[in-house]
Amino acid sequence: MTKRKMYIAMAVICFSLLMVMAWSAPELPSSIDRTQRSLKPWAFPPLGTDMNGRPLIEYATQGARIIALPSLLAGVLVAIFGMMGGLLRCVDWPITQTVVQFLGEIVGALPRMVVILVIALLLPMDWRSLTPLAVVWAVLSAPGAIDEAGAVASRLGGTRFVEALKAHGFSAWRIYMHHIVTLNLRPVLVRQGAEAMMTVAFLEVALSYLAVVQDQSSFTHSDNLKSWADLLKEGYLWLAIPGMDGSAHVLFVGIAMLGLVVLTATALSKAAEAR
Amino acid sequence: MKLWWIQPLARAVVAVALPLSVPALITILIWALPGNPAEIICPPSLCTGGEELAARWHLNEGPMAFYFHWVSNAMSLDFGQSWRVLTGKPVQELMVQTIPNTLLLIGLALIPVTLGSVMGAFQKPAKVWDPLLVSLGVLPVVALALLAAAVVELNFAGASEDGLGYWSRMIAAALTLGIADGALSGSILGNRSIFEQENQQRYVGISILRGESNFSNTLPNLAGAIVGQYRTRVVQLLSAAVIVEVIVQVDGFGALLFKGTLKQDFGVVLAAATIFALISSSLLMLQAVVEVFQNLHMRRAPVLGLDDVGGDL
Repeated sequence: MTKRKMYIAMAVICFSLLMVMAWSAPELPSSIDRTQRSLKPWAFPPLGTDMNGRPLIEYATQGARIIALPSLLAGVLVAIFGMMGGLLRCVDWPITQTVVQFLGEIVGALPRMVVILVIALLLPMDWRSLTPLAVVWAVLSAPGAIDEAGAVASRLGGTRFVEALKAHGFSAWRIYMHHIVTLNLRPVLVRQGAEAMMTVAFLEVALSYLAVVQDQSSFTHSDNLKSWADLLKEGYLWLAIPGMDGSAHVLFVGIAMLGLVVLTATALSKAAEAR
Repeated sequence: MKLWWIQPLARAVVAVALPLSVPALITILIWALPGNPAEIICPPSLCTGGEELAARWHLNEGPMAFYFHWVSNAMSLDFGQSWRVLTGKPVQELMVQTIPNTLLLIGLALIPVTLGSVMGAFQKPAKVWDPLLVSLGVLPVVALALLAAAVVELNFAGASEDGLGYWSRMIAAALTLGIADGALSGSILGNRSIFEQENQQRYVGISILRGESNFSNTLPNLAGAIVGQYRTRVVQLLSAAVIVEVIVQVDGFGALLFKGTLKQDFGVVLAAATIFALISSSLLMLQAVVEVFQNLHMRRAPVLGLDDVGGDL
């Protein structure tokens, strides 16, 4: 098996695992059962229980449910923005390019977390979910993706590359979508999209953690869902305050969930690299 | 390139417009969302006195009145009062109290980032270390911040307001900021890559044959790109500072912004967002100025035509 096929297999497995976890998440977490508290995975398979006796698999699946679709959406949007940026360098539209560059300067100069918090503040309570924040994150990530894809398209020759292929009799669709996007921009677009997916997942965990430590509702999900941040919070109690409730394996499960996201993003990027 | 001045000019225009456009965008958003602006700013379930609030913020006079009142007050450094973070306290006082901590934190976090940039410029470390750097780059800020907070809590719990406790908290937070989310690895790999590409240019080879160092030749050519990378890193650090300050419990501006958001304190959030935009726009202006000087310097170079040197101007 070549390295490339191995990465493709890894990407498919990790991504499918995330999606299956999201799909199998229960609507509500189990009720508290203190008799089952802090059980290890071998005592309560597959992942053990938390300090309130709830199965950790529920946290893992509900956390996956919170991030799965919004992060996928953000990844796809960033890849589309990148594709548009790359294609723009291959057409002779100087005014549009200047306008895009100008807008990119403005958007790129905004500290992302500040914008996310402003949006989180202004969104009506019943609209609060990760999806709008993920879309905003994708827009904020767009200038980077557009720049990088544009640089690749420029190195390719830009408009001269298109003219050369037109001279060979290729159709516009084949030139732009096959030769430019699929064959040349693919590595950049998939990597940018995968990175956006990963950062949106981290954003959710960070925002939920910051809310949960202050006993507030998260901006990213309703109170009946448990985020991976809840795992990190309990793990932190074990790490920082000896004698408090919490156990090492909860922290390990939380870190493993973040690791799964990193692995998915890395495998996707590597699988799409140019041969 | 004859129109070299367009890019710095565009950056300068954006730098001037940014602090004004952030409150403008927020204003547009408030009026674009369905519902009463006063209720969007502070939902009735959390706030009382909606009419008084609307009158005080000129919300009932439309978006233009709201925007221009706020901007004119902000220009005279009057950001109003906090509604919910510390009710009644002027936002300006909260900012004066927290901004120094954030600036110190960013300054400390820039130490590893700067060291990384310098190492990258000198093509260090060797590429064999790249997998380690890439792995370091994917560490999320929230996970590293938890580790930093745990270390500080275990060693300095209860004694972290001043002295050694304060400094250990700041250093732990700064290290987190300087390493997480690819800050350190990005600065090393990014700088190494741009210097590596530049070192392959023909003019560098000629300068080496003349007995000059390649660094003194490439640095003027890359000054704009380096400042641009540095600006991006600082903006990234400002963003991540919000998370780190809350988790490591640094009384900073980012933590104030998060508290304001969580407690629905629009006064604090609007002021904080504008100040963040102001910091970012100062960096953008600095980049524009460096680009102007860089281009003037390159145009004064007497030996070869710009097209001959092969530099990416």
